[in-house]
Amino acid sequence: MPDETQVETAQPIAPVQLKVKPKTLALITGGGLVAGTLIVVGAIMPAEYNVDPLGLGKLSGVARLWAPEEKTIDVNAGAGGPLAREFDAPLRTDTIAIPLSGFLGGAKNSELEYKVRMKPGAAFIYDWSVAGAERENDFHFDFHGHTTPVKGEEMTVATYKQAYGLKAQGALTAPFDGIQGWQFSNSGDKPVVVTLKLTGFYDLIPSGEEGNLAGIVANVPVEQSRPGFTPQ
Amino acid sequence: MRKHHILLAILILSLIAPPALAHAIGGTDAQFVRNTMGADPFPFLYLGAKHMMTGYDHLLFLVGVIFFLYRLKDVLLYVTLFSLGHSTTLLLGVIFNFGLNAHLVDMVIGLSVAYKAFENLGGFKTIHFEIDNRIAVGGFGLVHGMGLATKLQELGLNPNGLIPNLISFNIGVEIGQLMALSIILVLMTLWRTTKSFGRSAVFANALLFLAGIVLAGEQLAGYIFTGGK
Repeated sequence: MPDETQVETAQPIAPVQLKVKPKTLALITGGGLVAGTLIVVGAIMPAEYNVDPLGLGKLSGVARLWAPEEKTIDVNAGAGGPLAREFDAPLRTDTIAIPLSGFLGGAKNSELEYKVRMKPGAAFIYDWSVAGAERENDFHFDFHGHTTPVKGEEMTVATYKQAYGLKAQGALTAPFDGIQGWQFSNSGDKPVVVTLKLTGFYDLIPSGEEGNLAGIVANVPVEQSRPGFTPQ
Repeated sequence: MRKHHILLAILILSLIAPPALAHAIGGTDAQFVRNTMGADPFPFLYLGAKHMMTGYDHLLFLVGVIFFLYRLKDVLLYVTLFSLGHSTTLLLGVIFNFGLNAHLVDMVIGLSVAYKAFENLGGFKTIHFEIDNRIAVGGFGLVHGMGLATKLQELGLNPNGLIPNLISFNIGVEIGQLMALSIILVLMTLWRTTKSFGRSAVFANALLFLAGIVLAGEQLAGYIFTGGK
């Protein structure tokens, strides 16, 4: 300490307080406030909260100490099974063109169901859109799944979404062993084509079986994808 | 002659120690508290003592308080005042489920360290603003207890056995405080006998002031950047 500091040390019982010159006191408190603020703003804030207004944390590398707090979730606790899964089936990608007539063509031509077969826990991502429809509420879809019907047994059904719309995209994890897909219904008066893209772990259903009774052929141009169908 | 170096080292260490350590109940201790059902006096006694011995902001405040208390009578008076203050808020706070934001409470605790250092430097006399020391120490005791109460509540104490556990914790805090105090007192007494005490006392209180500002600033930053949760 410099000589300007006066300290009472002579008394037998020492002072209850120090007595420093006002100038020294100002220096100590002012210096303490400045240095303290510098430590907080320059080091603690960058290191603990990733806030670095002076750039000192970056300059000194202290800012690299910061890492976001982590909260671990139980990846196996979800109702649909573990979030990370492995599948035996190979990954596949299909594009399915589905032509539909206008409603005047009758239910047989203007609506159909297209599904794929999936094991429980298997997943796909999808994207479909309708070309040729003029208004959104001319086209209805029913995204659902069910177990393969067996005589004398209850069929488990899962309805994901029933709505009007011209496109949708998303993902599905199959809740049970069965078939999953869409009932597409065109209620406009013009023919439309639905283009459905699927990627995931599933099997296509052969023509004429439950889930593909309309006999849609995947991965071919729309002219060949629905044999025996002529748009009206 | 070397004793005051030790004390300075403690003060400096407090500046660079991880701020998160400042009297939080963490890790497996927190888990223990959360899972305890029914009265479990000794573990809580231990936690209270540990909390006090490792809560360096409390310790720095105690250093400031007894810096110029020479007679044992005075030491006892101030420590009793402080204990009464923090026992009151610790017990009432938890029992009536009253708590303030932990960062804000800890900020005031940091300020209490700076306050005490400023007072030791004769600062309040110089600016002609004096508060009765006993009121200040008792008042900061209330704040320190509120800090403890807030931390305990955050852990979600089980109502089963709450009062006995709380009292055990509080007794543990007092024991921890007495142990810390004894060590500080011995070091201070040795330090005072050195010739350089007068000069290094100014330096030490300047450091104490700085430490208080850093503690307060760190908690203020914590309050701001964690959204006051």
